[in-house]
Amino acid sequence: MSTESLALALLIAPLVGSFLALVFFRRKHVIASGIVVASGLVSVIASAMLLFGAGHDVGAITARWFSIGDTPIEFGILLDGRTMIMGAVVALITLCIEVYSLSYMKHDEGRGRFFAFLALFAWSMLSFVYSSSLLQAFIFWELVGLASFFLIGFWYEKPSAVAAAKKAFIMTRIGDVGLFIGLILLFMTTGTLDIPAINTLFAGDGLPEGIAPGRIELIAALLFIGVIGKSAQFPLHTWLPDAMEGPTPVSALLHSATMVAAGVFLVTRFHGLFMNAQQTMEWMLWIAVGTAILSSTMAMVAKDMKRVLAFSSISQLGFMLMGLAAGSLFAGYFHLITHAFFKALLFLCAGAFIHHVGSNDLIAMGRAGAAKQMKLTTVALVIGGSALAGIPFLAGFFSKEQIIGSLPIGAKIGALFAAFLTAYYTFRMIFLIVRPNADSMAVEDEPAHAQHEDGHEHHGPAEPLAMLAPIILLAVGAAGAGYIGNWIGHKLHIEHIEHPSITEMAPAIVIAILGVVFAWLEFGRKGARQTGFVSKIPSMQTLFERRWYLDEIYNVVFVRPVVWFASLCIGAENKGFDNGADAVAHGTYKGGRMVARSHSGRLQFYIGSAIVVVAALALTLGFRNGGGAG
Amino acid sequence: MTLGVWLVFALAIFCLGLYCVLGRRNLIVILIGIELMLNAVSVNFMAVNYYLAPDPSVGQIVVLFIIGLAAAEAAIALSIILSVYRQRKSISIANLEELKG
Repeated sequence: MSTESLALALLIAPLVGSFLALVFFRRKHVIASGIVVASGLVSVIASAMLLFGAGHDVGAITARWFSIGDTPIEFGILLDGRTMIMGAVVALITLCIEVYSLSYMKHDEGRGRFFAFLALFAWSMLSFVYSSSLLQAFIFWELVGLASFFLIGFWYEKPSAVAAAKKAFIMTRIGDVGLFIGLILLFMTTGTLDIPAINTLFAGDGLPEGIAPGRIELIAALLFIGVIGKSAQFPLHTWLPDAMEGPTPVSALLHSATMVAAGVFLVTRFHGLFMNAQQTMEWMLWIAVGTAILSSTMAMVAKDMKRVLAFSSISQLGFMLMGLAAGSLFAGYFHLITHAFFKALLFLCAGAFIHHVGSNDLIAMGRAGAAKQMKLTTVALVIGGSALAGIPFLAGFFSKEQIIGSLPIGAKIGALFAAFLTAYYTFRMIFLIVRPNADSMAVEDEPAHAQHEDGHEHHGPAEPLAMLAPIILLAVGAAGAGYIGNWIGHKLHIEHIEHPSITEMAPAIVIAILGVVFAWLEFGRKGARQTGFVSKIPSMQTLFERRWYLDEIYNVVFVRPVVWFASLCIGAENKGFDNGADAVAHGTYKGGRMVARSHSGRLQFYIGSAIVVVAALALTLGFRNGGGAG
Repeated sequence: MTLGVWLVFALAIFCLGLYCVLGRRNLIVILIGIELMLNAVSVNFMAVNYYLAPDPSVGQIVVLFIIGLAAAEAAIALSIILSVYRQRKSISIANLEELKG
């Protein structure tokens, strides 16, 4: 098959799947899920054939959409190393999650709709990744946000899910405004929105002629605001933990290959441009370091398994942006890919546990004996967790080394601290599940089976094949994705990848192992207290548990004033305008009734009053005009 | 005989007519009252014309007009009264208050 038809098939399959499932088979769940999984399979095969068969840098396949003056705005499919690798990963992980959902969502009333939205999500993300112009990318960027809104709020009868969906939509929208303004400025500055053209323009050293450095800083900063919103960086990160209200497969998709990855992918897409904006990159670096540490502290005390993973996503996205901001396209991109594997794996494991135990609470899961009953899933969880923690020779280790190796010294210390916390909270999670201790000080927030997220009890095999197969596939990916680094670098045209030497790698390895050991002492060993060192300082514990009070602060600073203003407006509307209009109507009505009373229907009364009035007029006018006999 | 006497006479007839129109219930009597008022006005015109006007013909023309109009008005009014009577079997003004507010 030709490259064009492959690329088209890859992008159109999920759209068709989504459309058919949503419009025709929303209530015929088996058909809907079958169509969607088939469309996912088409995408995977096509993207793999493109990646392995098409060679690199096929270029863009475009069609003109419209022109502004002489400037054509094109829609197209861009096929180069960056898009083809990312696209294949997105398609693969989406397929894994779709297969997993077959079992996970088996008893849900609305799973036809669920699968339709999954395909919509996959379609928007794939189209975003393969976009050849920034305008097209922006459109699909928004569609990704829309699809995530649908999926986070999938259980729309749950008020918390609706609130989380709205929060995710609005928070990312704040960033999108920045992105859109940046897009317009970029178009005004360079006169094109074509991604290869922009990349060529900024490829060399130094700025292209006629473009002021300040302008590039501004554009990069505005684009970065969009990235902050989408990739959940401080200060717009608060939507991501709440997005856990969606079904677990959605979280897996949202956190690994789609939604949040879109932000980082945008930075990798325009890395050349960003590299020309040193000031913005400096900001990006420190925001990323800050976010990585901040969210790690939150993960240290979270008891909800999905929330631990959500915070870890925020911090790992911080790592990716650190690498990109420090100038290493390869490090950021590589971590984006490896993270996609192990984070999807971790979420799918979490989903399997939640599905089986009926609780999101780590301690409850452990005490319910989940680890004993689900051995393979537990092994996969340990693999994924180790990859996340940066334990040597798993995926996360290689990419994290690349990132830490590329950082300047100040940021490196921050990143190492975040890496330590990552190892600590990851293994805290694992030990709480694997080595439950009924006598420990840990308190369950939410006992097992108390509240299953979709309200069903499941009596089937603990590890159905549909759930186990994706988990195993992703576990292989999480273990092995680190070894394709050179190949990724080759595809990205990075001729020489600096592999850090063993002495450079040592601090990160030591720190990761230290984190694990620390977690072992507090949570893993026999008779451990299982409460964590943070709990010794109650104020800090509360600070972390309440997520640094950021939600409260936003509530007071932004939400309340808006609500206050809205209530003011509604007051003005109800009391002012409405009552005013009512008063006019009532006055008219009352006046009418009063006048009507004088309409007695008695003819002679009318004539009498008419004569009295005419006589009075005649007398006054007569006297005024000279009075009397004239 | 002076102008004042004529004017007082006309006023008396006018007031009688007015009383008829305002005070009685019977539509035909009211019509008679209107005729009386018209005639009072005619007398007024003639008197003023006789004593004051430089050209006597003007007043006479107006009076002729009034007589003509009165005849037409009487015809229309009587036909209205007739049709009211056909509908209600009564020509009392007390029953005609559909337009009461």
